[in-house]
Amino acid sequence: MVAASLMDTLAPAPTLRPPSAPAAASSAPGSGPAPAAETLIEIDHVDFFYGAVQALHDISLSIQDKKVTAFIGPSGCGKSTLLRCFNRMNDLIDGTRIAKGSIKIRGIDIHRPDVDVIELRKRVGMVFQKSNPFPKSIYENITYGLKLQGVSNKARLDEVVEKSLRGAALWEEVKDRLHTSGLGLSGGQQQRLCIARAIAVEPEIILMDEPCSALDPVATAKVEELIQTLRTRFTIVIVTHNMQQAARCSDKTAFFYMGKLIEYADTRNIFMNPANPQTEAYVSGRFG
Amino acid sequence: MASSAPADDRHFIAYKGSFRLFGLTLDDCIRVFFGGNAVVSIIVLALITYFLFREGSGFFGQNRDNLTVYRHAGLEYVDFIRTQQDDHAALTRYLSDLRVRQFNYSTTDKRLSLAAANAALAGFDDFAGQYGDSVEPIRTLVSDLTEQTTAIKERFTVMEDKKVERTQLLAVGKEAEAAAVRIVPIDFVAELKPILGTLPAYREASADFAKRLTAVLAEAPAMPAPELQTRMDRFQQLNAEYMAGFPAVTRNLETWDYNKPVPVTQAFSSFLFGRQWLTASFWQDWYGVIPLVVGSVMVSLVALIIAVPLGVGSAIYINQIASPLEQKFIKPCIEFISAIPSVVLGFFGIAVLGQALRALSQVAWLSWVPGFPYSERLNILTAGCLLALIAVPTIFTLAEDALNNVPRAFKEASFALGATRLQTIIRIIVPASLSGIISAVLLGLGRVIGETMVVLLCAGNRIAIPDFTAGLAVITQPVHTMTGIIAQEMGEVVHGSIHYRALFVVGMLLFFLSLAINYAAQRIVRRYRISIG
Repeated sequence: MVAASLMDTLAPAPTLRPPSAPAAASSAPGSGPAPAAETLIEIDHVDFFYGAVQALHDISLSIQDKKVTAFIGPSGCGKSTLLRCFNRMNDLIDGTRIAKGSIKIRGIDIHRPDVDVIELRKRVGMVFQKSNPFPKSIYENITYGLKLQGVSNKARLDEVVEKSLRGAALWEEVKDRLHTSGLGLSGGQQQRLCIARAIAVEPEIILMDEPCSALDPVATAKVEELIQTLRTRFTIVIVTHNMQQAARCSDKTAFFYMGKLIEYADTRNIFMNPANPQTEAYVSGRFG
Repeated sequence: MASSAPADDRHFIAYKGSFRLFGLTLDDCIRVFFGGNAVVSIIVLALITYFLFREGSGFFGQNRDNLTVYRHAGLEYVDFIRTQQDDHAALTRYLSDLRVRQFNYSTTDKRLSLAAANAALAGFDDFAGQYGDSVEPIRTLVSDLTEQTTAIKERFTVMEDKKVERTQLLAVGKEAEAAAVRIVPIDFVAELKPILGTLPAYREASADFAKRLTAVLAEAPAMPAPELQTRMDRFQQLNAEYMAGFPAVTRNLETWDYNKPVPVTQAFSSFLFGRQWLTASFWQDWYGVIPLVVGSVMVSLVALIIAVPLGVGSAIYINQIASPLEQKFIKPCIEFISAIPSVVLGFFGIAVLGQALRALSQVAWLSWVPGFPYSERLNILTAGCLLALIAVPTIFTLAEDALNNVPRAFKEASFALGATRLQTIIRIIVPASLSGIISAVLLGLGRVIGETMVVLLCAGNRIAIPDFTAGLAVITQPVHTMTGIIAQEMGEVVHGSIHYRALFVVGMLLFFLSLAINYAAQRIVRRYRISIG
C-alpha cells in the first residue's frame, strides 16, 4: 500500500509545487479518481532520537492533501517531535537525528542531505504553541517571509498583507494600525497574526503546534473557526492536547503514546469507535 | 547558635533561641552585617565624590586669580603683539611647506638632481628669508616687553608668597617674625607705565613691518607648476588677511585696561574651552582641557571603531553559529583578555605593536593609506588598537548577553518562514537585541575612556590638539589624554597649587563623562527590557 501511494505521488509531481500555482498538483493527471484521498506526506517507519533518547518508534503514517490531521496524545508522546520533522525544525536542536525510515512530501525525501531546507520551510509553514510575532510592526511581520524571498514591490506587499490578514480573520481588527507593533495585540490576535504570517508565503502545508494552548476559550474558538476556512486552501497538521478541539476541527486523527503511533483513522472513528483499547481509554479521559 | 528549648513533645510551637549580641537577635545581627556592607560602599562613594569636588572646586577661584595676574602684570598686553608675531611664524611655516613641495616637484616630476633642484630654489629661498626677517621690528619689541612683564609678575608672585608666609607665621603665633616679613604692595599703574609707553614704538614697528611685508610680497617668485601657483596665491591671500588684522591689534593695545575685572565665567570657559594646556611655563600657565578631551575622544573613537565589529561580531558568532565545543573554547579566551594587566598591554604596545604598525606603515604598497608612512611610533592609532583589545571583552560579554535575551521563539519563527541563518541574524536577532548591543558599546566606551595605563604609555603624550586638516591621517599623530595627564602630573605637583586643582577638575570631568555614559547605557537597557515584553 505504501509503495503504491508513493508511485502515485512521485509520478505527477517530482518536485514540490511552486507556491504561485496552488491548484497544479491536485489536478495533476494520473493521480487516480479520488483526489480527496491523495497522500501528501508519507511517513515510513521512522525512528527519531534526541541524542541517545529515542523519541519516535517506527512511525508510519500518510497525511492527505487538503485535510486537517490532528495529532493527539499525552505530553511527551512525540507528536510535536514528529510535526517538527515535517519542516526540519529539529535541525535547530543539536544531536537530533532520524535513525531509520523516511519522510516524503510529494515523493521527495525531505531528510536527504541535499534537500534545500530553506525551500522546504517556505512550502511548509508553521504556527507555534506560544504566539511569537517579531518585535516589529504588524505589517512587517506579515511581509517578513516575502521580503526574504526578495519581494519588494510595495503594491504587491500591501496586497498580500490584506489578503493574509483577511485569511486569518484579523483584517477588520488591525487594518487601522498596521504599522504598530505586533506585540501590542492580545494573545489571540497575536496567534492569528502568526497564522497570517505563515499563510502570507503561500505554503502548501501548515503545521500547528498546539496553537490554542495559551489562549482563552473565545480566542480558541476564533482560531478553530479559522482552521475551518483554511482547510480548503491548505493541508493542516495540528498537534493538540484538547480532544474536543481535535474532534471539532480535524478530518483524521492520530493517537500517539510513548513515541508510538497507536491508532490513526478518521476522526469520527477515533472518538466514536476506537479500535485500540488505549485509544479508547485516552479519548474517554481515563488517562493522559 | 544558642540551643533552643530542649525537644519537648508537649510543645508544638518551637521557641526562638535566646541568643543575644549587644541586645540584638541573630536575625538582627545578620541584617546589620549585610546592611553594613552596603552602607560602607555607599559612604566610600560619597567620600570620593566629596573629596573630588572639594579639591577640584578651588580651581576656578585660583584660575581667576591666575587670569587676573596675567592681566595686571601686562602679560595680556604683550600677548596681543606676540600673537601677531606667532601668526607670522605660522605663515613662514606655510612657506617652508611650499618649498618642500617645489623641491619634490623638481626632483620627481622634472627629474633634476638634488643640487640642481636646490639651485632652482635659490630665488625662492631668498624670498622666504626676506619674508622671515620682515618681522624683526616686532620681534625686538616683544622680547623687550616680555622681560619687563615677566619681572612684574615675578615680583607679584614673591609678594604673594610672602603674604602666605606671614599668614602661616601668624597662625602659629609668631607675631614678631610675621611683622618682620615686609610686604610692599605692587603698584601696577606705575609698573605698567613703561610698558604702555611703548605704544608709539609699536605703532612705528608695526607700520615698518607692514611696509617690509608688502615690499617682500610684491616680489614673490613665480611657481613652476599651476598647482604650486595656486598655493602661492593662497599664501598671498592669507597675508592680505593677516595684514588687514593689524589695525585691530593696535586698537586692542590702545583700549587695553589693566584694571578691567576678569569675569567669573572666564575662569570656567578658559578651562573648558581653552586650547592650551601649558604648565610650569616662564610666561603664563594655561589650563585648557580641550587638547586632552580631544585626545581622549580620538583614542576612544579609534578603539571603538576597531572593537565594535570585533566584539559584536564574535558575540553573534558565539551566540548564533558556534558549536558548543567552539563556545567552550572561544568564550573564556575572549574573556581572558580582560585579565591582562593594562600596564602589560601598554608595554606590549610600546615594544611590539608600535614598532609593527610603524614598520607596516612604511611598506611601499600601503602608502595610499592616509597618514602612512609615519615615524611617530606612539600615536592615536597604537593606543586605539590596544584600547580596542580592552574594550572587546566588555562589548563581547554584554552583547552576548543581549543576544541571549532574544527569545528563541523569534529565531524559530524566522527559520520556519524560510529564512537563512544570516537573514535571521540580520533581520531578527540583531534588531531585537540592538538596544542591548548599543548599551554594550557604550559601556565599552566608558571602559576605554577611563583607561589610563595604556594611553599613558602608548598615546605619545604630546599635549596639543592634533592637526585635523590632515584628514584621516590625524590618527597617526600623538596626543595626550585626560587620564594620562592626571597619572603623569599628579605625582609632581605642589599640593594645593592651581595645577594640582586643575588635575582634580580634569578628574571631575572624567567622572561626569563616565557617569553620563553609564547612565545612558542603563537607560537604553531598561527601555529594551520593556520593548521585548
